Amino acid sequence: MSSFANAIRQLDRLLTPLAKLVAVLSGLCLVFLVFSFGWLVFGRYVLNATPTWVEQVALLLVVTIAFLSTATNAREGVNLSVDIVPLMLPWHRRRWLLAFIDLTLAGFGLLMAVKGYDLTVFAWSTKVPLINVPEGLRNLPLAVGGGLLALFCSVNAGKRFTEGETPPSGEIDAPVKGLE
Amino acid sequence: MGLLLLLGIFALCVTIGVPVAFGLAIAAIATFAYEGLPLLIGFKRIVSGISVFSLLAIPFFIFAGELMLRGGIATRLINLAAAAVGWMRGGLGVVNVASSMLFGGISGSAVADVSALGSLLIPVMKRKGFGADYAVNVTVTSSIAGIVIPPSHNMILYVVAAGGGISVERMFLAGFLPGFIMCLCLAVAAYWVAARRNYPKESFPGFTALLATAIAAVPGLFTAVIIVGGALSGVFTVTESGAFGVIYALLITVLAYRSLSFKDFCAAVGQSVRTTAMVMILVGSATAFAYLLALYRVPDQLTSMLLYISDNPIIILIILNVMLLVLGMIMDMAALILICTPIFLPVVKSFGMDPVQFGIILMMNLGLGLCTPPVGACLFVGCAIGNVPIDKAVRTIWPFYLAILVALAIVTFVPDASLALPDWWARTMDP
Repeated sequence: MSSFANAIRQLDRLLTPLAKLVAVLSGLCLVFLVFSFGWLVFGRYVLNATPTWVEQVALLLVVTIAFLSTATNAREGVNLSVDIVPLMLPWHRRRWLLAFIDLTLAGFGLLMAVKGYDLTVFAWSTKVPLINVPEGLRNLPLAVGGGLLALFCSVNAGKRFTEGETPPSGEIDAPVKGLE
Repeated sequence: MGLLLLLGIFALCVTIGVPVAFGLAIAAIATFAYEGLPLLIGFKRIVSGISVFSLLAIPFFIFAGELMLRGGIATRLINLAAAAVGWMRGGLGVVNVASSMLFGGISGSAVADVSALGSLLIPVMKRKGFGADYAVNVTVTSSIAGIVIPPSHNMILYVVAAGGGISVERMFLAGFLPGFIMCLCLAVAAYWVAARRNYPKESFPGFTALLATAIAAVPGLFTAVIIVGGALSGVFTVTESGAFGVIYALLITVLAYRSLSFKDFCAAVGQSVRTTAMVMILVGSATAFAYLLALYRVPDQLTSMLLYISDNPIIILIILNVMLLVLGMIMDMAALILICTPIFLPVVKSFGMDPVQFGIILMMNLGLGLCTPPVGACLFVGCAIGNVPIDKAVRTIWPFYLAILVALAIVTFVPDASLALPDWWARTMDP
């Protein structure tokens, strides 16, 4: 069990820079998105030449932000959820439920990755209008985000199994007052 | 059976704590599999649900709100509100409502409103002798203004979920008056409670001080003017207005206010990306989910069911309001907008209600849900800031709930409360 716990800890440590890289990439996409629209308006009204690539690139970027950051959100546990039932359980029971949820998300992430890959390959030969890049790129974030989701959530589940009976920092030893 | 599976898996997932977006997606994909539909279509629906041009405004609104939140705008707005209405009995309560009206109009987010204004106002109110429960309650309930007063990214979600036919500009205009009515009702409730508890009032600082605080707050307030005005004037699309709002907010907070450090900027980008992903993945999953709801003809079935209960539009509207209020208590707002709109909108349309009016009713109902247990993000944040147990806050919150319900009743039964402004605008633009 301790070697499993060590492996999970090592894996989690390895995934930290990957999660940071994904967050930075998503952040850069957002900043680029803002300034590309500034450029669009500047081009239309000042240069009298509307940059037509902006809208299609923006759609690709927003899909990228959505799927990549969803994976990091799942790693950090910040996706929107209704936590009444988990909070009604004491920590030693809740961690099993959280592990089950993590495994469910990991399984769904794997399916996303496989189907995202299929969709990417399927649409690769078609071109996105105005920017002439493969249409499959629109589905690529689904595959990559799904893979990351599977990875992050599997490790999260592993952490739940190895955490033991004491709640980690940031978790409360429920049942939460008023909900029990 | 397919519909039962869809709703059953979704309910199970949400109950045990699976993130709502994944609950929707898992239920939808499982139902696709059950019906023998290709799973690729299900996943394609999720991707194409996100890849919609009008949704691009959402990350911009969120980003602009984050920059204003971290860039010192809240303090200036509170100063303005304090100078304008702080002299009344329980003045800080009314100041709180007025600040929410101003800040909510810029940030468009109720939770951002509670965290920004609550962390500044609740400690001051407690220090000046106001009850902690009162301070929390007035902050939490007035935060709904952020959702109703434009610009609001939830309005864009509604427009997208409605599947076209409604313009964002019309929704924006429709939100002004109901937002004002709601804040007025809340201010009356805040005053009434303050008078009963004999809370103190501040002295009037004089017209010069009032003018000075107004001048300091104007550059920040102008962000909302750019976003809403840009879209209404037709100079920009809503998306372009959002992007310009971000650039303007950045320039104001860095150059004029000098209150946004690079670290704050990075934090704003990080939080915006996180929130954008949460909303977008919800939109994608809800698109696949709504596709199946339409396939099973759920809106038609609901209409028939409601007609069976009564054919009186007033009764139907009351039933819908109650249903939305209950749903708002147990689930997040964005998810409910995306799920409820395709179901309820055809129903209200069949009773002759304008979709824009229904949109505002939806916002107010679900906004109230953010202030109610057991799932109330604003209530939780407010109680955490005020260090008040949730049950203690809820015990004395009823005058504020009542105020919102009065505003909701006005918007529900007086269509002009939400439609007068957009109709007037439409007549002005196209005489």
